[in-house]
Amino acid sequence: MFQNPEVALDDLPGTDELKWEKMHPLYPRAIRVMTSIVLVIVAVAMSAFVIVLNIPLLPVVALYVLLSIVAVYSLVWPGIAVPRRGYALRDKDILFRKGVIWRSVTAVPFNRIQHVETSSTPLDRKYGLATLQLFTAGGSSGDLKIDGLGKDIAEPLRLFILDKAGAVIEHT
Amino acid sequence: MRLIAKNAWQSLAPLFVLLVAAEGSLATRLTLGGFAFAVIIAVSSLLSYWFFRFRISDDSILIRQGVLNKKQLDIKFRRIQAINTQQNPVYRALGLVTVSFDTAGSSGSEGNLPAVTRDFANWLRERIGKPRDLESSQEEDDNPETDALVQLDWRDMIRIGLADRRALIVFAFIGPLMERIEDDIDRFISDFIAAAAANGVEVNAASGVSIGIAIAVAVILLFAVVSIAAAFLRYHNFQLFLAGQTLRSHAGLVTAHEHSMDLGKIQTLRLQQGVVQRLLKRYQMTARQAVSSGKNGSQKVFVVPVVTAELADELRRKFLAPEAGRLTQDPRSAEFVSISPYFMRSRILFVGLLPSLIATVALSMPLGAFALLCLLWFPIVAAAAYRSWKRAGFLHDDEEIIRRSGFFGFRTVGLLFRKVQRVTVSQSRYQRRKGLASLRLHMASGSVRVPYIKDGVAKQLRDYILYKVESSQRAWH
Repeated sequence: MFQNPEVALDDLPGTDELKWEKMHPLYPRAIRVMTSIVLVIVAVAMSAFVIVLNIPLLPVVALYVLLSIVAVYSLVWPGIAVPRRGYALRDKDILFRKGVIWRSVTAVPFNRIQHVETSSTPLDRKYGLATLQLFTAGGSSGDLKIDGLGKDIAEPLRLFILDKAGAVIEHT
Repeated sequence: MRLIAKNAWQSLAPLFVLLVAAEGSLATRLTLGGFAFAVIIAVSSLLSYWFFRFRISDDSILIRQGVLNKKQLDIKFRRIQAINTQQNPVYRALGLVTVSFDTAGSSGSEGNLPAVTRDFANWLRERIGKPRDLESSQEEDDNPETDALVQLDWRDMIRIGLADRRALIVFAFIGPLMERIEDDIDRFISDFIAAAAANGVEVNAASGVSIGIAIAVAVILLFAVVSIAAAFLRYHNFQLFLAGQTLRSHAGLVTAHEHSMDLGKIQTLRLQQGVVQRLLKRYQMTARQAVSSGKNGSQKVFVVPVVTAELADELRRKFLAPEAGRLTQDPRSAEFVSISPYFMRSRILFVGLLPSLIATVALSMPLGAFALLCLLWFPIVAAAAYRSWKRAGFLHDDEEIIRRSGFFGFRTVGLLFRKVQRVTVSQSRYQRRKGLASLRLHMASGSVRVPYIKDGVAKQLRDYILYKVESSQRAWH
């Protein structure tokens, strides 16, 4: 039976009263560990260069000041940025929000999802984290990537979304 | 396929010319070399003809090719987005075409069937088109009405040639001269002729300038002629039909190109107008399909090279009927809603004022008073921001949205809500304070951004689009 009820714009489900799920509490730490590893490698490489090439003091100090600024930023920032991230699962779509200065909310309807992928780096696995990626059509500007989910959440989430997307595909 | 070896004729032709030309005493080795080359080409094309096989099954086409590197391609019919044909002069004489398939999804698997008969290409097109439309429009498909939509004549070729981007680059190169030339071209030329007539061959300063300008004009004319010729070559006798639900175009002077696209696969419709096209009061209309992940080939785009605004609106009504197409895509339409002026203000502030002040302060030490030149950046940005704000706008009804933008020219992009893939609402700190947001609609053919609208409107549009997408039972592709 065909039905075509009128749509009241104000009654459409909005996002203001949504309960946003947070990222895994260990995620900021994982980012910090990762960036520290990179920073230590850079610092070691820099000091090796300085010793070997015998570079004068002033640019070296400037470089290390720069490096320490980057270090402070990359260690402090996850503590600010990660709590601002969150996702919300609804019956027909998934929403992901992020950003401190530039905030954005992205919504992906399940019936547009092509495939779903979870992945985790070795460091992720140590902290029990995983990344969920949702692929929609559209080539380069393709997908939604949710980092820092708990491993115990990412996998059921993937199956749930796959199930929803698959159900839609069968219907059409 | 039987006649694929005829391909070789084309490659052989210049060699025969070479043979004739090189009949002198010294060039016998060259002749022999040319002859060997010809033999190699003939043999290799015979071999590749021999090893090229294809088979059509119920739901796919299997192509096997390659002499040394064997390649096998299995293209599923339902993954084929469009079937295009090309016909070069040799093929035209023999009544053959090359069929190429646009496929969605994985990269690098675009198939080609060279040298098949036109009847076979048509049969293939029907064969591939059928299974998808079985449930939706069976009775219509039995006798698809062919509806001629657009036909371009030689005047349109000139318009296409003049509006060619490559020609525009040359204009930009010659730069600010252009405007003066356009205004004073007649006067300068008559001056030149008068000076030449009065003074014989004597050259004074005025005629020197005139000669310089005449040379510039000649260069521009040359480029215009070349690009007009290119337009004739590519779009001669351009015809656009609608056969059932399939859009087809046919064009080309030497090599005939035939493109087709299912109306249902259109993701976005664009109307573009460059500077030259603005003078000509014409637009270019393009329909975009889903982009495959590999290469964003131009084949995914269906082009109508010149249309008037009225014709464009008529076309989009036909393309999007019955569900949508009531809106106008004419950028000059008064129906467009402008975006918030904070769009302009934020650009002036963050791209113009702050960087120019910082640059002035930073460079004042080494450059002194010359650093004040950095302040010139500010009015440039301000003018540009005002211009793009003036041109930006959007327009929507229950089914579709059209966004207008532009700087030198105009561009409007229209899309159906139900074909959206993802929606993002984003807000910078500045926008949050002003109660504004930007809406980005990701389509399978790329994304469309509507910047600096009221955040309430952005969210409501987002929620409505999600509702349209999630309640839609129809395929988006």
